[in-house]
Amino acid sequence: MRKYVLRRLLVASASLAIASLAVFSLPRLIPGDAVQLMLDERAYGKDLEDLRAKLGLDQPIYLQYFEWLGRVVRGQLGESLWTRRPVIDELARRLPVSLELGLMALCFSISIALPVGIVAAVRQDSFADYVTRSLAILGLSVPGFWIATLAVLLPAIWWGWSPPIQFTEFSVDPWAHVSQFVLPAVILGVASAAAIMRLTRAMLLDVLRQDYVRTAWAKGVSERCVVLKHSLKNALIPVVTVLGIQVAQILGGTVIFETIFGLPGMGRFLFDAINQRDYPVIQGINLLIVSVVVVMNLTVDAFYAYLDPRIRY
Amino acid sequence: MDAFASKHFRGVTRRDLLKASLAAGAVVSAEPLLTPRRLHAQGKRGGILRVRGYDPPHFDPHQTLNFKTNNTLSFVHNKLVRHKVGVAPGTFTVEPDLAERWEELDDTTVVFYLRRGVRWHNKPPVNGRELTAEDVKFTFDRFLTEPANPLKFMLDPVDRVEVVDRYTVRFRLKEPFVWLVNMLANPTGTWIVAREVVDKYGDLKKPESAIGTGPFTLERYDPNVKTVFRRNPTYYRAGEPWVDGVDWLVMEDAAAGLAAYRTGQIDCGNWHGWTVRQQDLASLKKSQAQLVYRDWLSNVTQGIYMRTDKPPFNDVRVRRAISHAIDRQAIIESVWVKGEATPAIGRGLTEWSPRVDQLGPGATYYRYDPKEARRLLAEAGFPNGLKTQITATPGYGIDIVDAVQMVQRQLKESGIDAELKLQEYGAYIGTTFLGKYEGLAMGPFSIAWEPHTALYGMYTPEQPRNSSHVADARIVSMLKEQMRTKDLEARRKIIFDIQRYAADQQYYVYLYSVGATGSWRPYVKNYSPNSSFDYGNRSAALWLDR
Repeated sequence: MRKYVLRRLLVASASLAIASLAVFSLPRLIPGDAVQLMLDERAYGKDLEDLRAKLGLDQPIYLQYFEWLGRVVRGQLGESLWTRRPVIDELARRLPVSLELGLMALCFSISIALPVGIVAAVRQDSFADYVTRSLAILGLSVPGFWIATLAVLLPAIWWGWSPPIQFTEFSVDPWAHVSQFVLPAVILGVASAAAIMRLTRAMLLDVLRQDYVRTAWAKGVSERCVVLKHSLKNALIPVVTVLGIQVAQILGGTVIFETIFGLPGMGRFLFDAINQRDYPVIQGINLLIVSVVVVMNLTVDAFYAYLDPRIRY
Repeated sequence: MDAFASKHFRGVTRRDLLKASLAAGAVVSAEPLLTPRRLHAQGKRGGILRVRGYDPPHFDPHQTLNFKTNNTLSFVHNKLVRHKVGVAPGTFTVEPDLAERWEELDDTTVVFYLRRGVRWHNKPPVNGRELTAEDVKFTFDRFLTEPANPLKFMLDPVDRVEVVDRYTVRFRLKEPFVWLVNMLANPTGTWIVAREVVDKYGDLKKPESAIGTGPFTLERYDPNVKTVFRRNPTYYRAGEPWVDGVDWLVMEDAAAGLAAYRTGQIDCGNWHGWTVRQQDLASLKKSQAQLVYRDWLSNVTQGIYMRTDKPPFNDVRVRRAISHAIDRQAIIESVWVKGEATPAIGRGLTEWSPRVDQLGPGATYYRYDPKEARRLLAEAGFPNGLKTQITATPGYGIDIVDAVQMVQRQLKESGIDAELKLQEYGAYIGTTFLGKYEGLAMGPFSIAWEPHTALYGMYTPEQPRNSSHVADARIVSMLKEQMRTKDLEARRKIIFDIQRYAADQQYYVYLYSVGATGSWRPYVKNYSPNSSFDYGNRSAALWLDR
């Protein structure tokens, strides 16, 4: 197990290094007229030369990379051209919000999707199976932002209640802080839950048809033991893979929910940074997302080894 | 007691007591000037006003003209003069602010006498020191010389600003300019700033540099979340502000904002100007009849501007064709619900804005007539129509985007195929709004607190606000004439003539001024809405009685 984890760590490090090259190259690929556009639209610098210097585009490329890498390792991601604050400070304020939203959404989706998927597989073609599959299709096809808008507006009209629009920090009021994430997390988790439920059902159905499971049935092992002990672990490998991918999607795709529910997360900040042509922030967030994806994949790989001890590539 | 002592220490006499009591009386009567905090008899102290706010692109008033920056700055800054608060919407009467009075010495000299004892916010680097004439001179020197200032046209006739003494400032003009005081009252760009702040930060873009003499101090700015303003305890207006502070909340989603207003999470309407969108009004009034509502017609002109310095829009027939192609009433009814077709000055400024039927021959082009549009295009050499692009921004709200799409469709029906390009607000304000675009552009492009700003910058060559790149000597001549004309009626006639000529030439295709409905909760007292960026003064005058 230790050798397996070390091998995965090496691969992850290599992935991070390649990703850092890609993130570094991003602003260097900007055509000159785009830098001029930043100057025209935002007046981020006194003139073109000043702005190119601010973006670090005025030195030889290899020097720029090592200088940039050195700063990144020390936690210096530059300064936001828009807010004029260190990028690392902006990310430190916003990443916890996005992570909290994402993790709550994932917890919701897993806690709903796994049990429902198992029931749907075990009770294949029953009424419960049809209902859950229909709901899953609905969850996959109805846009989350539409549900979110209705969830905000309709209670306000019917019951005089709406989710809080002012963001409350944990230190100010822990209960208010956590509760403001519940509704957006549930809505965000719906599409994810639908996908996981369908995948769990499909994989479990496949595993339940295996010879060893038939042997267990024949030996008189209880249904609970056959499903949860003998079958579920094998069915979960692809599910864990999808979960890993969804973490990255959730981290980068929460901008609409953050806007509707007034949450100052990374999604909204990235969206604004792209509009503001704030390249240091875009770089910083890209690097962060890449790092999270690499770590998530590492975690998923480690979990594979736990689920199936035969996996040791 | 020796002779020296008897001369100098003769005890307390009745005269001494009388002098002392007179002196004490003088001090007591001067107390409001020294410590201007006596409470207004009617106002109620306390509470935090929670309202819809904005994320400004930055905080420097001399490097932008966007409303988000100026709205935000209105809480922390004062001007020499201001628009009166507590008046009917559409009224922009000028009254003293930092200047307690002013005097026109001759046609090209105006002197402003500053209030004494006005203090900057108690924050470094100004640390609560007194405002002086040097601050005013510095502000307007910067205003006039900052290369990136698109508002310079407002004070084009100003030659220089001089310090006469610690509390007196003199404006020397290059030519007579009857609108000077009005320009200084406009809540855009003329906020008085401190030299030390600019020296410390290099410019005024950072939120930390938003330091003024205004009713509120900027305590915290969280991008995408809110700006927190708190009462300035040394504000010079007695009693104000009544509220302890203002939470200026960023609310980009219209539905979430409306829900917040319905459920009492904000104290005033969730839309621009603390209004409610007309589309939401009927349902809101039905379920929330207890809220306060006030209607008015906006003084903002919305329209289409174009590159009149290049083909095809340098041809007046093409411009007239565009005007004929637009069904203004249909857009008003579909998108805005309420409104009126407008000339160059927004209809909300009724004393300076003629009705469309009073525009003479130019009124013809306001008639929706796609057939005539096609005929004009053919006459101009485009029998098969023409292709172009139209730029807009969603930064003013979703209704603008709906309106642009309707315009796009109407243009197409008349043979003008305009590709829609949407631009983020900050980029739009920095480029398209200042004339750096191709083809057509559309959106609100002038707000009229007086007629000069809505006309001068937009028609004078080489001005950044001349978004349509107009170069018409006749209109410039009329603009110069009205700037010098003291007699109000004579000036009004010239302003009306300019608008008639503008309607004939269609350098800007003026569309409409929309209806607005301000709304606030019943416990918000002494609040008067107005189409102005001066949220700060309006917030300072109100109080919360709950």
